[in-house]
Amino acid sequence: MRCNPFVLLITGALSIFTPLCVHAQSSDSSLPTSLESNSQAKNATEREAKTDTVKQTEPAVERETNALQTPVQWLQRLQSLISSANYQLSFVQTTVGKETVPYLWRHGVLDDGTEVEQLNLQNGPGRELIRVDGIVSVFEPDTQPYSIRSRFINGPIPNILLHNPQKLLESYEFVLVGRARVAGRSAQQIRIVSRDNTRFGYQLWLDEESGMLLKLNMLDLQGALLEQIQISAFSVMASPSPYFARINPSSLPEPIMMASSQSRAHGWEVNYLPVGMKEVKRDTRRLALTGQVVEYKMYSDGLVDVSVYVQPIEDALGGDIALRNEVSTFLTLKAGKAQVTVLGEIPLQTAKAIATSISAVNNSND
Amino acid sequence: MTQQQEKLSAFMDGEAEDDKIIDAIKHDAELQAKWQRYHVIRGTMRKEASVAPEMDITANIAAALADEPAIVAPKESRWRSIPIIGNVVPFATQSGQFAVAASVALAVILGVQHLNQPAPSEPFMTAPTAGPQGGLAPVSLEQTRTLPRNDMNEVLEKKRKINALIADHEQQIKLKQVQAEEEEKASDDTNRP
Repeated sequence: MRCNPFVLLITGALSIFTPLCVHAQSSDSSLPTSLESNSQAKNATEREAKTDTVKQTEPAVERETNALQTPVQWLQRLQSLISSANYQLSFVQTTVGKETVPYLWRHGVLDDGTEVEQLNLQNGPGRELIRVDGIVSVFEPDTQPYSIRSRFINGPIPNILLHNPQKLLESYEFVLVGRARVAGRSAQQIRIVSRDNTRFGYQLWLDEESGMLLKLNMLDLQGALLEQIQISAFSVMASPSPYFARINPSSLPEPIMMASSQSRAHGWEVNYLPVGMKEVKRDTRRLALTGQVVEYKMYSDGLVDVSVYVQPIEDALGGDIALRNEVSTFLTLKAGKAQVTVLGEIPLQTAKAIATSISAVNNSND
Repeated sequence: MTQQQEKLSAFMDGEAEDDKIIDAIKHDAELQAKWQRYHVIRGTMRKEASVAPEMDITANIAAALADEPAIVAPKESRWRSIPIIGNVVPFATQSGQFAVAASVALAVILGVQHLNQPAPSEPFMTAPTAGPQGGLAPVSLEQTRTLPRNDMNEVLEKKRKINALIADHEQQIKLKQVQAEEEEKASDDTNRP
């Protein structure tokens, strides 16, 4: 007579609530892991193929400053100016939903042929980057100064546009639009559109007289402005700015060595990528902020970088979320036992196409 | 028997008309067991159960008290000073050691109720005369109170995870530039000779 009908009623009521607490914990141990070993060889051949195409296009470029016919010629003129002239630029960067950020950018070639460059964030505590040939030193508030080996300063203007525009031809089409007036000067407008219409587009304006970049817009697929770089003042000089004479290269921090991470086996592959996008990196590591283990691949067409993360579902977000972070898209989807996250400056549709194209690969036979 | 059950139920709710039920409980082992079960059930329904239904501690306490009656047996005034338990005091004072032991067990259960609920006024629903009065209401109230707090933690946790991914993505882009540089340099060196 101990088994009372009320006790039964109570356990029945409790069982209604218990699923709420239990369902969050699904049972899975780890991601399937296996290695695709031939991908490195594949990448190498792709790189060779790319350098071939660059060589073919190079002879077409001559110094015809007066009669530039193609957008590529305009960009090559910009490229040679950027790397060989002494100049000083002031520009502002405006991003949707953010305050405008002003920069000062100087470049010079010293008498001994050393290339020097400076980029300074002009508001707030600032951020200063100084490049002497192949070493970039970074001075930031709250961080020890450090140096890295790089031939470019990583600023708001995409380096590939300034230094290697030919590399973009595989993914993007350059169109000469016409003349316009920017920053008080006559300029040539060029549109940069992805060949498969899967990435954001760009518009840039180049000074007709000097070839210098005057304005750069980043637009979404509907043509709405996402980000803008507007040069407000620039001067091309005969000799490098006196600022560079004050830099003592021996007082700059030593470049830090980058440990090349070991690429461990991944049990998945991305099957869809926009035209011209290639894998540039893969590894397995812990996120700095949460310590979660992620499998990571980075894809790039030179202009935009897309990160793909795969995590076990139990320590991931556990839901489908799409966000816009400044101009980057953040998309995370559940895929069976894994959570796939795609991040990058790409439209949401493209991020979704990449995320849903991921499939498990099982190459345990090799 | 059913009449006594009814009275017991009424006594539990503090609605007893006379003290006869107390004597009845004292002398009837079955009623005592029922008294104890009712309290366990009530505690469970209100999600306050601190005692498993089959764990009858009263007998153990009674045995323990039989060994040291002088220490545990409380003075009347002390019991009266504690609200709620004051209702039980006559039960403890009028009877012998067994009654004291039983009231200690009650104090455990009622004490928990006192902590969680200042006004335990819901009638126990065994008596058909009492009628439905929404006895489960406190349970659902408790649910609505705790759920939003869990949600907040979840949202914060999600934000933290999203931020971790975004920060990592930005860091990787910075690192990529350097690595691409080094690779290019390496391939340049191999192409040159």
